[in-house]
Amino acid sequence: MEIRNNSIQKIARLHWYNFVDPVTKLLLALFLTMLSFDFTNLYFEAGLVLCSLVLLLLSRLTSATINAVSFCLFLIVTMILIQGLFYSKNVHPLFSVMGITFYLEGLLYALTMSARILIIIFAIGFFMNTTTISENAKYLESIGMPYKQVYLLMSVCYILPQIQQNMKKIQFAERARGINPQKTVTQKIRSILPILIPLIIKTFDQSINRSITLQLRGFNSPERTLATPKYCYFKAKFSHYCLSFATILLIGWKLWQIISRFL
Amino acid sequence: MANNQQVSLTHLSFTYRHDHDAVLHDITASAPLNSIVGIIGNYNAGKTTLCRILAGIIPNMMAGNLQGDVQIGALSPTQNWSDFNQQTGFVLQDPSSQLSGLADTVADEIAFDLLNHGVDEAAIQQRVVDVAAQLQLTAQLGQSPVSLSGGQLQRLAITTAIVTRPTILLLDDPTSEMDPQGREAFFTWLKTIKDATIFIVSNEIDDLCEIADRLWVLDNGELVSQGTPAEVINSLNSDWQIGTPKVYQLARLMDWTMPDDNNQFPVTVDQLRRCADDDHSNQSSQVSISHQ
Amino acid sequence: MKENGIEHNKGNRFNMWKIHLSVATVTLIPAAVGINYVAKAFAEGLKLPLWLGSLGTYLASMLAGPTAGAISGFINNIIYGLTLSPVSTVYSITSIAIGIVVGVLFNRGWFSSAKRVFVSAILIALTSAIISTPLNVIFWGGQTGIPWGDAIFAGMIGNHINIWIASFTDEFILDIMDKVVVAYIAFFIYKQLPQRMINYFKDNQ
Repeated sequence: MEIRNNSIQKIARLHWYNFVDPVTKLLLALFLTMLSFDFTNLYFEAGLVLCSLVLLLLSRLTSATINAVSFCLFLIVTMILIQGLFYSKNVHPLFSVMGITFYLEGLLYALTMSARILIIIFAIGFFMNTTTISENAKYLESIGMPYKQVYLLMSVCYILPQIQQNMKKIQFAERARGINPQKTVTQKIRSILPILIPLIIKTFDQSINRSITLQLRGFNSPERTLATPKYCYFKAKFSHYCLSFATILLIGWKLWQIISRFL
Repeated sequence: MANNQQVSLTHLSFTYRHDHDAVLHDITASAPLNSIVGIIGNYNAGKTTLCRILAGIIPNMMAGNLQGDVQIGALSPTQNWSDFNQQTGFVLQDPSSQLSGLADTVADEIAFDLLNHGVDEAAIQQRVVDVAAQLQLTAQLGQSPVSLSGGQLQRLAITTAIVTRPTILLLDDPTSEMDPQGREAFFTWLKTIKDATIFIVSNEIDDLCEIADRLWVLDNGELVSQGTPAEVINSLNSDWQIGTPKVYQLARLMDWTMPDDNNQFPVTVDQLRRCADDDHSNQSSQVSISHQ
Repeated sequence: MKENGIEHNKGNRFNMWKIHLSVATVTLIPAAVGINYVAKAFAEGLKLPLWLGSLGTYLASMLAGPTAGAISGFINNIIYGLTLSPVSTVYSITSIAIGIVVGVLFNRGWFSSAKRVFVSAILIALTSAIISTPLNVIFWGGQTGIPWGDAIFAGMIGNHINIWIASFTDEFILDIMDKVVVAYIAFFIYKQLPQRMINYFKDNQ
């Protein structure tokens, strides 16, 4: 087992989050999201944001999560502005600047939604910062997901960073050639086609080749050895059942809330 | 005609479905089992298509009009493909698309085929180490396949093809990205393989003549010549635009013909040495062929 | 000897609703997701007022049918959600619908001429807007996140127009531009693809 198992496991010591299996982490993210939908009290939402943030800080905070937060920050700000000014249930003015009135209801509504978004980002951040692609692949295969589907999911995970790198190269080359003189949208689109078409043909050719080699390499074989999970997880099945049950309850509760409004 | 001890192609023709013109015309060729067959030809001669047929990619994955028959020993790529595929290793022209795209390390990549075939972990371990050593990839076993150089990637592609211990090995230009030393090491290694029928497409005519038992020359989809390297190289037609080995060029310049056939020039270093010995012994009127 | 070993789907252009994934589809989908990413990055790089992020999904639907397109769209948003922006996960429903609609329209010949592509694009935009609007309302209070679309939205709800109508207008205006442009790019690119490539994906389903 020396060569094939990733050396990371040996060098780095195990963290607490390595004992939580990937599916539990995802179910936890879903559970927290549903909680934030069911109980819209602002203090409760703030508590949930705090919980998910603590979860994230206790594991690992990476730049990817920070990027995701900063990406949403702009939207959150505009959301607070738009809802604070125009929300249909606005009644109580909060403050006025140059004759423009900002309302309490809209602000609270926007804050609730922002909290929800932060919860999703933090909870999913916890999942993605504490698992690796191969850990997920091995786990999914070991719990009985067909290898073809595991392969599909995982190969997308691998293809994105590669493409990100290629894009950086292309963009760098573009910049080196100078700023695009094109002004109109049509001109801009025309200017990308000569780069896009060869890139697409090449990408599809690679997938044809890959599909050929996968078949030659026995990808479809029913004899495939099942992968063993990378870590020993703590009560994986039990947490799946609990979290799934709780999430389904929350979804049902939310649906009932919506339906009862019409009754 | 279908001999179980032979590789035989009989009246093989193929047209891709998207094409009007046939890529291969009426190819009939043979070679002994467990020999090395070098396939040479100019650009667009049909080498890759022939490899695809030999691997069963045509007609099992790519459609078209295939006529004729292919038999490699008791197996046929066109008829019982899954049995055939169990026995085959294939190295594609583009090594990067040969990879599974999912492996974190070179070792995982090599193990992919074995896992698919349900080999147990201990045996996988052993075989991965073994083939990596054969192709000088031991130091890279823990690296990510993405970090490899072109030549290393080609060697990795080769290890993935041979790790299942195939009895038929198909190599489509496997050395295009290797440096001269890597290429030399590869051809030396290839010669040591036993109990496998090897088809290799390559432009390295020098190396090919050294290792191949048979050469098949394709030109515009037709098999224009086949035989031992010496036979084929000595009867090349300039229209085929195929290079000749350095040894052959030198021998022609010096007019050193083969001792057993004065119409043929040598194509391998060994043959050249024999000519030189022969030449030398003729001069000193001594008979000594034992020098090889 | 048999003509070849591949079963052709005669009659219909391809087996539309096959859920079974072939190996070719399995390798096509990551490529489609990659193309989505590249197109989106180009749109951002050139500061186009469009997303273009469904180009790969369109092409996958055209090459391998609605199921392949739907799965491409779904996985596209899931992976985006798990790596780049978590909230985009919920829009996977929209992407699935786009994949299906493109595949069906293509199958019925609605991508065969420039005029027909326009009709298809409107249908696709409509589908996309109908599905995205509730998601926009639930997650973003009705906004789309594109500044000038949101300016229209803000103006409309500022004038006490129903939030659903305002959000739908915001989404539909953006969608119609985006989906028309993507449909034409996909139509143009598909025509440039080598026939062997189209055949390969059609045969290996």
